[in-house]
Amino acid sequence: MAKKRLTVLKRLLEFSGMNPRRLRMKWVSSAEAVEFVHEISDFAEEIKQLGPNPLRVKEAA
Amino acid sequence: MEFQTVLTTCPYCGCGCGLLLEVLDGKVIGTLPSKTSPVNEGRLCVKGWTVHEFIMSPSRLTRPLVRRDEVLKGTSWEEALDLSAKRLKEIKEKYGPDSIAVLTSAKCTNEENYLLQKFTRAVLGTNNIDHCARL
Amino acid sequence: MGHKIKEQVQKLLEEKRIKGFLGLRELEGHILPHLFCNPQELESLSLGDWKKAGDARYPLNQILIQLATKYPQETFAVLVRGCDERGLRELFKWNQLAEEKVVPIGVGCPDELAKACECEKPFPDCLIDGLKGEGARSQRVHRVDGMDLDARLDFWLGEFKRCIKCFGCRNVCPMCFCNECSLEEELLVGKGEIPPDNPTFHLVRAMHMVGRCIDCGLCEEACPADIPLRTLYKKIAEIVNEEFGYKTGYNVGEKSPFNVIEVK
Repeated sequence: MAKKRLTVLKRLLEFSGMNPRRLRMKWVSSAEAVEFVHEISDFAEEIKQLGPNPLRVKEAA
Repeated sequence: MEFQTVLTTCPYCGCGCGLLLEVLDGKVIGTLPSKTSPVNEGRLCVKGWTVHEFIMSPSRLTRPLVRRDEVLKGTSWEEALDLSAKRLKEIKEKYGPDSIAVLTSAKCTNEENYLLQKFTRAVLGTNNIDHCARL
Repeated sequence: MGHKIKEQVQKLLEEKRIKGFLGLRELEGHILPHLFCNPQELESLSLGDWKKAGDARYPLNQILIQLATKYPQETFAVLVRGCDERGLRELFKWNQLAEEKVVPIGVGCPDELAKACECEKPFPDCLIDGLKGEGARSQRVHRVDGMDLDARLDFWLGEFKRCIKCFGCRNVCPMCFCNECSLEEELLVGKGEIPPDNPTFHLVRAMHMVGRCIDCGLCEEACPADIPLRTLYKKIAEIVNEEFGYKTGYNVGEKSPFNVIEVK
């Protein structure tokens, strides 16, 4: 169910002017520590590349 | 059973939006904007949308209250009016008319507001009248 | 227009097959919802056309739920356009109304209304009166799709900025029946702010319209700030159709992918 809603949310965010790459969904169990760290680091890197969230930038302006 | 929608005017601000009270078996169960009222044409603000909530509210005043021994107690209209007239007179005589101020509201009708300012100026003898919309 | 409806309703009332017909009536120049319990009242029947076609429509299904909740043993007839029928089908699946207690009385929408609504199917299958019109294609979603990401963000933030949090969109919606509304949850949308959390408030509402919105347009008509809500919800419908092949209210019996509890 969460997957279905997130599929819709991602596309809704894009339609509203937000980069869908800023939302990621991944199933990781508590036993998969390495996976978890890898996923988060990878996502953090992607976000860094995308730069500050335009919402924040516009809010500050 | 009986269901009908009753067209009325919002009691809050001076706009006078038309709204429909949804009445089921004599009880108001909801509010809808009137689509055919020229002022609002089917739109309402949050106060208009929630108009039905206060009608049956247990907090609603149903009789005059008088403060006795620091507690508000229910009383009759005669006592409330007599007491108000007596005390206002006393205060006016002792401290002067400008020691009294009157605050009215957009929820009153124009006629009620006119009456109140006439009372304040001609009877109480002061200009100290204002309105919640100025706050 | 309306004769066939009057005839049908009169018959249902005389044969005592319904307790009442929930429709619209004209009273002193105004059009308002009314429960017709005897045939004489039908004289004042209106289909919701005030100055233009369909400009005095109301969320009749919402009122019907209130009547049915108090009188679950009674059968009611209700005036339905294409959108209302879609609404009924979903409300049956969401257990808000009992199908055997509702008699839909269908009226089709004229072309001008269908175009204004950009409605794909401006008539109910249970059509008794009115036009079985051709649907109109949507332009508004297309226009926003054509903007680049940043322009879209500016556009939406600008539109939502005018919101006065009247809750009109939610209050008038015939598909909103939740007892506790997420929009009133302080953790999601802060209290006491105008405009409400931009764009959170409207995106939360849009997400809650997933699999629920029947594209009746009452939300946009109730918005005092002229926010193009339908554009947002039409996009939701497009997404749900593309991703899950589901079109809200088009199927009898088939539940929305968001209305199923999966047991793995």
